[in-house]
Amino acid sequence: MASESLILFFITAVVLVGSALIFSNLVPPKSANPAKFEPYECGIETYGETWLQYTVGYYIFAILFLIFDVEAVFLFPWATIVRETGMTAFIEILIFFTILGLGLLYAWKKHALKWE
Amino acid sequence: MAFDIYDFTSLTSSIHEGLATFLPPVGVLVAEWLLVGISVLLFVAVFGLILVYLERKVCALFQQRLGPMRVGKWGLLQTVADFIKLLMKELITPNKADKFLYNLAPFIVIIVTFMAIAAIPFAKGLQAIDFDIGVLYVSAVASLGVIGILLAGWSSNNKYSLIGAMRSGAQIISYELSVGLSLITMIILAGSMQISEIIQAQSTGWFIFTGHIPAIIAFIVFLIAGTAETNRGPFDLAEAESELTAGFHTEYSGIKFAFFFLAEYVNLFIVSAMATVLFLGGWMPFHVGSFEGFNAVMDFVPPIFWFFGKVMFVIFVIMWFKWTFPRLRIDQILTLEWKYLLPINLLNILLMTLIVLMGWHF
Amino acid sequence: MNNELMFFMLSAVILVFSVLTVTTRKILRAAVYLLFVLVATAGLYFQLNYNFLAAVQLTVYAGGIVVLIIFSILLTSHISERAPIASAARAALAALVTVAGAILTLITVMQFTFRPAGIPPISPNVKNVGRALVSYGTDGYALPFEAISILLLAAMIGAIVVARKESNNQSTK
Repeated sequence: MASESLILFFITAVVLVGSALIFSNLVPPKSANPAKFEPYECGIETYGETWLQYTVGYYIFAILFLIFDVEAVFLFPWATIVRETGMTAFIEILIFFTILGLGLLYAWKKHALKWE
Repeated sequence: MAFDIYDFTSLTSSIHEGLATFLPPVGVLVAEWLLVGISVLLFVAVFGLILVYLERKVCALFQQRLGPMRVGKWGLLQTVADFIKLLMKELITPNKADKFLYNLAPFIVIIVTFMAIAAIPFAKGLQAIDFDIGVLYVSAVASLGVIGILLAGWSSNNKYSLIGAMRSGAQIISYELSVGLSLITMIILAGSMQISEIIQAQSTGWFIFTGHIPAIIAFIVFLIAGTAETNRGPFDLAEAESELTAGFHTEYSGIKFAFFFLAEYVNLFIVSAMATVLFLGGWMPFHVGSFEGFNAVMDFVPPIFWFFGKVMFVIFVIMWFKWTFPRLRIDQILTLEWKYLLPINLLNILLMTLIVLMGWHF
Repeated sequence: MNNELMFFMLSAVILVFSVLTVTTRKILRAAVYLLFVLVATAGLYFQLNYNFLAAVQLTVYAGGIVVLIIFSILLTSHISERAPIASAARAALAALVTVAGAILTLITVMQFTFRPAGIPPISPNVKNVGRALVSYGTDGYALPFEAISILLLAAMIGAIVVARKESNNQSTK
């Protein structure tokens, strides 16, 4: 069964990281210095809050990614049977791409693909 | 097939039968799990060390230096020494960090790379899982790595880390589309997603030759997008040393830092292995038409050498990128993906479909 | 390892992390627990040999939606604050509604007699999925396939309209 091999690889990775972390927590020498646990920024104490509201630009690209990701997921099974289906597959994908292309064109014209 | 002596299926099945003679079924399962687990661990550790050494030597080559030379012959043991040093360093958790997520992030990046390795075909019969969705599986699992990076950057509670992680996240998800669409282009030509079938379909010629124009376009797009996926230069603005200290892993020390480093190089291997499988024929030897003598000589080289030879070639090309091109800005990176690679990819899929349906491929 | 054991392990992961998702007071941790739930669900699909659906679950939900959720959490202000503890009355009410819903669902499931389907099962091989996707016969999905592109177009335009307006407001501030 495939899923059992997946579990095997999962366990191997967890064992690798876990054992290395345990080793590194026990063996290496430790020294206590309060300054060591400050954020590593520029030497002086960190100023202000780090977890602040972030720019909306990243969010737009995340949404566009999700839409094209869903599209790609539908293309994968389609791609495996192009050879046996013939022209029907081509016409269907032409319609599919034309409609999606309109969306990409709209995003382009609205400057949604521009970083600011 | 001429290279049946190199078929690993017989080896694995003989190991299985050998174990079954003196062990109960559960014991066989446990023994096989241990065997596979240990060999995968060894492979990742050794290959990771070799890749880091190679990176430094290739970098030195392009900058007319010698690179590491002191530890061992030609500096061969340099990365081993570095690894021991990192292992012996104290682990520091910043006091303002979200400790649970901070410790979870290295687990996520390493688990993702191991799960992806499960579907990589090293040679005929030497592949842990041969799914009917092989290619999609690798890209699906690899797409989870970005979450580890986002969590690492956010949980550190460091401004550099957060900025690096956000840039890295936007970049990785954008280029994931190009990777996926160039995979689809080649699946159209192969007519299957199963990795063993894709390689078998290339026994008469590698896809980059049989698919000619659209395959070459897809190969170039895949290399660019794959470089961006692994956060390597010229797309390494997530950890741009000159402005962000070290990006999302600034706050990580010792072995935790080493895991992010290792994951980056194992991801480089996975991207190169996928390029090898889809474009360069996987472990298939190089054949020229009906040139029988030449083909027989090529068959004599074991498939595992073919596979690693091609992977090393792709890795070298990607390292070449890193040490040649200057770093891109975030707006340039997003423009390249959304205004150039994505439309080119969509048109390329149509072109490939036409060529396959018209029979214009070889 | 047998199938049932795997099923119970994955179900336990799904249940525990589902509860943690809604009870944690840190918003980003909720997103991470949700990620575990989605990945364990993908594990269930692998267990059923429906590999394609499992890969879709990983790409779209775990790799897409969770990333989108993380980005949108970072878009909100007050990320670092913990959610306030709900008052006892509210907690009791929520528990009551949850238990009632669970009982209702259980009664419905228990009373329903599951019959095996009359038609022979189709192998969930990805090629069969593809064949169904392009065929336009009685059991073909060609029309839904095309309709999806219109849905995606609408989603894209909607997202751009909403998100761009927000960014214009920000720039005028």
